[in-house]
Parts: sequence; C-alpha cells; structure tokens
Amino acid sequence: MKVQLPDGTIRTVDAAGIPVEEVLAMLDVNPVEVIVTRNGTLVPEDAMAGGDDEIRLVRISHGG
Amino acid sequence: MPLPDRDRAACSRCGTAAVYLQRVTGRHLCAGHLAEEVEARARKTLADDGISLAERSVAVALSGGKDSTVLLSLLHGIARETRDLDLVAVTVDEGIAGYREETLRAAAAITARLGIAHRTTSFEELFGEPLDRLVEGEESRACSLCGILRRKALMVIAREEGAACIATGHNLDDEAQSVLMNWLRGDRDRLLRDPLHHAGREFVARCKPLREIPEKEVALYGMIRGLFSPMPECPYRHTALRGEARAMLNAVEQRYPGTLERMVEGQRRLARVAREPAPPGQCERCGDPASGRICQACRVLEGVAFRTARRP
Repeated sequence: MKVQLPDGTIRTVDAAGIPVEEVLAMLDVNPVEVIVTRNGTLVPEDAMAGGDDEIRLVRISHGG
Repeated sequence: MPLPDRDRAACSRCGTAAVYLQRVTGRHLCAGHLAEEVEARARKTLADDGISLAERSVAVALSGGKDSTVLLSLLHGIARETRDLDLVAVTVDEGIAGYREETLRAAAAITARLGIAHRTTSFEELFGEPLDRLVEGEESRACSLCGILRRKALMVIAREEGAACIATGHNLDDEAQSVLMNWLRGDRDRLLRDPLHHAGREFVARCKPLREIPEKEVALYGMIRGLFSPMPECPYRHTALRGEARAMLNAVEQRYPGTLERMVEGQRRLARVAREPAPPGQCERCGDPASGRICQACRVLEGVAFRTARRP
C-alpha cells in the first residue's frame, strides 16, 4: 500500500490486511494527531488496509 | 449511505460505515452521527455553563483556522433557531508573515458564505506594530505575547460592537494543555480559577462551546461539513511551551484514552473546592481587570515601547 505522510512524502508499506493503526505505528505516527483516509474515504484507525490501498494522513493543524 | 464494509467497523448507532473511533468510549461513529454529537455537545456545554444566547450579541473570535471556523458554523446554526441572537465574527491580524495572509482569506470566505458580519483589526492598528516586529530578538516569547495582545484586541472590538459575550474556539486539547502548562509554571492562581468566570464590571463574558470536544473530532466535523481546509501552522508554535505540552499529552492520550478529559475535569473540581483567589482589580492604565496595578497587555506594551526606544 502507498501511504502519503502529512508532509506529502509517499512511503510504500508492504502488508496485507493490517489495521491502519499498525501502519501508523510503523511510521511512528500517533493516531490522536492525524485523520486518515483510505482510497479517499475517511476511516477510523482500526480499519484494515493493505494491497493496493492508498492511505493519506492529514495532520490536525493547531491554531484555532 | 455507504454500507458497512468488512474492512472497517460499523457505526455504533446506525450500523453504517464508521469514519471515527472514539477511543475513550470504544464507540464507532459514521459521519452523520459524529457531526450530530459534536453539535449536541457544543449546545450542552453552552447550557451547562449557563450561557443563554437569546437576545444577545456574540463576538466570535475567528482566526480562519479549523476550530474557530467550526465554532462559527455551529453558532450560525444555533442563531437560525434562537431569538435575536446576533453574531459578529472578529478577526485579529497579529502580523505574522507567511501565515496570517492565508487564514485571513479563509476567515473572509467563511463569513461571506454564512452571511455573518465580519470585523477585522490588527496589532499594527491597535498597538502600533505587527507581532513579527514586536517580538524581534525575543521570538521565544512570541506565543505568550501574542495571546495576551490578541485577547486585548478581541475585547476592544467586542466592546465596540456591544457584544455581551466573546466566543472562542478552544477545544478539549487546548484546555488540557493549558492545565498542564499552569502546573508546569506553578501558576497557582490560574489552577484555582474557573476560566469562564471573571469579575470586573468592564469585562465581556467569555464562552468556549467546543471546550469539551477533542480536537480530532472538531477537525473531522469540519471535514464532514466541508469547512475544513488544511491551513498553515503558526511559525512561532515551536517556541512555545504549549507545543511541548501538546506532545506530552498526545503521547499519554494515545496510551490512556480519556486523559485529556480527566485532566480538565480535575482542574475544574479543584477550582470549585479551593478558596477562590481574590478577584482581579483594575488596571491603572486601561481599566481592564488586572491582578496587579497594571494588566498583562499594558505591561507587554510598555516593555515593547522600552525595547523599541532602545533600538539603534
């Protein structure tokens, strides 16, 4: 699967059917701090991901 | 409505595809029910705080960022069903190059979209110089100084507009960070003070309708309602203790969900049982509430004037 990090860089994660939260842990990203989309759809961090999925991490920007 | 798919959980309320896991409760929520619960919680906070918005003018602090934009949208919804609630959005341009320009445009766009009156002012207009210039050589104080002067600016405009209340978009994460920062600074008075109630006949009441809602839920609400656009972050954020507090709390919240909520509630209970610190007096310069002879804003401006006079 391809994972777009908040800074725009793309990482490839070779996995099949793992929770998004595990992908975040591999990338040292705290699920509290990001919103996740899987193939353009908002998903919670316990959704499964893998294969050809495109994951995008949107960092929750601070400052009201 | 999307059907639940086998690769993600179903909404705990309706069984459709969930977009959010509420870690504290273990519940999953779809977009519709997340939005509904955010709106309900904001209204409940206003009711619990004894804030009646009927027949009032409310100045909404609008930076153009996600929290204040969500706040404005929520209050706009309440205004459509509340008798004689007038909203005026107030945007303060602190004068931070490379940051404020984009958020100011976002603020103008959302007020135009919602048809809400919009007042803008700037540090330069009120205090003589933009923040970038005010903190030159002392960037580590930028966040603290900015907060003090921005509150002053909001108060000035709110009074001009005859507002009975200033609404700000502080969320649960902001409140918890403030509690931790007060502990780290050993600020007894702030720890024992109820942040919503202030004495002083010149003081405009404050309300924080989002204060019990986690930042992530505010952000998701903004995305679901089409309000949320990624905004730049303040370039001074790294100079602030708040950034350290945020990192600490997010790490703990991940492992121990509910920490933020317990932290904020703990401080409120402490404030209720402890002896209330003496109410603030009045600033000799401007008449605003002050814990000493001079309020924080006037002290900051005196210090800036002193440093400016000494510049080569």
